[in-house]
Amino acid sequence: MSYGVRDRLAGTGREAVVLAAVGALALLLAPFLVGPTQTRLLITIILFAVFSTAFNLLYGYTGLLSFGHAMFVAGAGYVAAKVFRGLGTSPAVESTFGGTSVLAAFLIALVAGVLAAILLGVTIGYLCVQREEIYFALLTLSFSMAIWAIVQQDISGQLGRYIGAGSLLDTGGSDGLPISFRLLGDVDLFGLQFTLVDINNYYAYYFIVLLISAGAMYALWRIVRSPFGEACKAIRENPERAEALGIDRTYHSWMAFIISGAFSGLVGVLFVPLRGGALPNLAHWSFSAFPVIMTVIGGPFAFLGPAAGALVFEYVRELISQVPMLEERWQLVFGLILLGVVIYFDNGVVGGLRRLRARYTDRGAAEADAAEDTPRTDVQPDSDTERPEDD
Amino acid sequence: MTDENTTPEGTYEHRAAGLNRRRFLTAAGAGAAATSLSGCLGGVGGGGDDTVHIGAVFLLSGIAEVLGSASEASARVGADAVNEAGGILDMDVEMTFLDHEGDADRASRNFQSLVQEEDADALIGLTSSGVTLGSASTAEELGVPYTLTDIGTPYVTEHDYDTYGNFYEEDEGYAAGIDNLFRLNANTSINTYGMAKFATEELDGVQRVANLGPDYAYGQQCWDYFKAYADGLGADFEYVASEFPSLGAGDMTPQINSVMDADPDLVFTSFWGGDTTTFVQQAAEQGLFDQVEDVFDTIGAAPGNFESLGDTIPRGIHFSGWYWHSAFDNEANSEYLRRYRETYQDDDTVIGIPSFTGASTYSSVWMYKQAMEQAGSTDFDDVISEMEGMTFEDDPRGSVTLDADSHQANAPTVIGEISDSDDVPYDGPGMDPTTTYTLDRETALDLLEGSGLPPGV
Repeated sequence: MSYGVRDRLAGTGREAVVLAAVGALALLLAPFLVGPTQTRLLITIILFAVFSTAFNLLYGYTGLLSFGHAMFVAGAGYVAAKVFRGLGTSPAVESTFGGTSVLAAFLIALVAGVLAAILLGVTIGYLCVQREEIYFALLTLSFSMAIWAIVQQDISGQLGRYIGAGSLLDTGGSDGLPISFRLLGDVDLFGLQFTLVDINNYYAYYFIVLLISAGAMYALWRIVRSPFGEACKAIRENPERAEALGIDRTYHSWMAFIISGAFSGLVGVLFVPLRGGALPNLAHWSFSAFPVIMTVIGGPFAFLGPAAGALVFEYVRELISQVPMLEERWQLVFGLILLGVVIYFDNGVVGGLRRLRARYTDRGAAEADAAEDTPRTDVQPDSDTERPEDD
Repeated sequence: MTDENTTPEGTYEHRAAGLNRRRFLTAAGAGAAATSLSGCLGGVGGGGDDTVHIGAVFLLSGIAEVLGSASEASARVGADAVNEAGGILDMDVEMTFLDHEGDADRASRNFQSLVQEEDADALIGLTSSGVTLGSASTAEELGVPYTLTDIGTPYVTEHDYDTYGNFYEEDEGYAAGIDNLFRLNANTSINTYGMAKFATEELDGVQRVANLGPDYAYGQQCWDYFKAYADGLGADFEYVASEFPSLGAGDMTPQINSVMDADPDLVFTSFWGGDTTTFVQQAAEQGLFDQVEDVFDTIGAAPGNFESLGDTIPRGIHFSGWYWHSAFDNEANSEYLRRYRETYQDDDTVIGIPSFTGASTYSSVWMYKQAMEQAGSTDFDDVISEMEGMTFEDDPRGSVTLDADSHQANAPTVIGEISDSDDVPYDGPGMDPTTTYTLDRETALDLLEGSGLPPGV
């Protein structure tokens, strides 16, 4: 950043405000314009956007590839499902909270689920961050698959009975913990009556998810822009040098792991009412692959890259499903798209769009990289203005 | 099987035939498409003006794809037959087949897409008990008539919430019955009852019984129910070993060895699809069949399994299923088999006789015809109340009645002896002779007493 900083910031700000306003308006109006099935897809995209952004705090910002982030989604999701099942039918909750008992159960599930994810982050994260690169990835994968085995085979349920906790730790084995939508039913909040999850319109749940997700995205944005976020980037760029500067690499990575896990857990809780319960596939490694793929598609070196990846991923998947010939081989089609993005796009879809814009605008050229948190190894600072010619 | 198959009788869609512009446009957010808005209104009835739309959701990819495809093959024959008989309410039957990918969330999304966007009048499915239980809440909310054709778990047709607890709300709840769900195949409860009865009454000298089954809810349930029924029937069996190789395991030799070490007289298994062939091949190599009196399997009796096993599967052991082509001597079965043969005579990928889910999927379309015509409309609630207690006379398995309370059909389970004397259109054995068993709730309650297991019938 040198010449024209003011111009660039002003330019970025104006465009960003317009874009954000259009995006926000589209998100606010969407459920009224499309049907319930598409609203459900939108909720899924919003949740994956937060999940991938949380994952990217560790990957894009700290340089640690976790292949086990499903553990947070599942850990929090199962706790949430237990809370709904436990409190949803409890007369005590009903008498205490009356018309808001469904909402109360939801909030308790939210807090309990996120706490569970934080607990996982603190314990498993501490062990994982002792190693880097492929070893870190394998450790996260191993822990998440251990959690998958625990829920799939109901090992925790057996343990619970053994220690006298009854069915408290039951996971339902391969059937999981499906929940009745009755438990997510009518809310009467100061006269405002709505159904928490109504699969025939989703209005209430959509806006609840939107509100919580917007808050989560803002929090994550503040985190990556904070000194803590800068320290994460320093670790990504050069761990030894960061340590020489006084940054405790292990500690910072651990904290990033916990924060990333907490937000992933939040998503896990919000998935449960949408999906009608917690099933073992939430914990499977293939669920951990979603944020990885979405982040690579969208671009790990831009804050909104993973969110863009979630949007592109889900809609491309939806588009493929409309074409029978492609649908039968959807994994292959997706693999080819991913291959194209990795080979030809510098920084996923977001990077690709910025380069495209840079071709046509002078200012865009400089902005393309300035707005990204691109690592030094990827883009040389001096090459910023030369990029359009390079392309 | 072709992706898209248009016949004079009607139109089928496999994964939403052709480029479904309607759904794509709404997906791309291009305005408030009328279809989406009609989805918002949701609820009652549906379908186009001139067709009755039945959505079918099966597992059409991955390791168990063969099961879902077999169901699809018979559903197509059923729809063809119904259309030839004048359709439903003088309208053609249109079917859409979607893949649930073994994922309850995908199944739920498929249900919603079919009912809310494509105005399906009824649903059939699925290919996995776990997926069924995980997506049943969504199906319940949609309120659409929904018929299971391939599902084992007894929980989903158990409505006695007071005695067995609510599966969707309590940790130890097993009753998962919902108002709009029916089942046409014999469930695990009926299946294992038949096997326990056969073992008790037809086999001599069986004392020591061991189990081998896939390591998930289905395998565990089969073994629990078999033991409960055998005990209830007064069999004095000793259960000497139980092993659960993981689903789709390539190597079952450690578990087979462990079972052989326990020296059983009878080995009870609950493998299906690829697991059946893996088990039989590896058990044959290790000499299991020479050592024991008999080997059972719950739903291994499928033409595809017998064709791939050929001479490897020993003659004389007993396999079961929900249907077997030569087990039913009636006109409806002959008609079904003729139609099936003719439909697929030029298709090398389909064996000329239906699989064990065949009769239930074929009949599901006929059942909807009868229920909708008795109701005089496709109104969800009217059709559901017609289906409660309804008898369908022309099922290939004979007359079949849907219980008014449990919504489970009194469908039989078939047990047969692996034999070369059965007339089958492939190289390999069939089953002969065959025996069938049905089960009523009173008998089941009596036999299962004390086990805590719900009858599901």
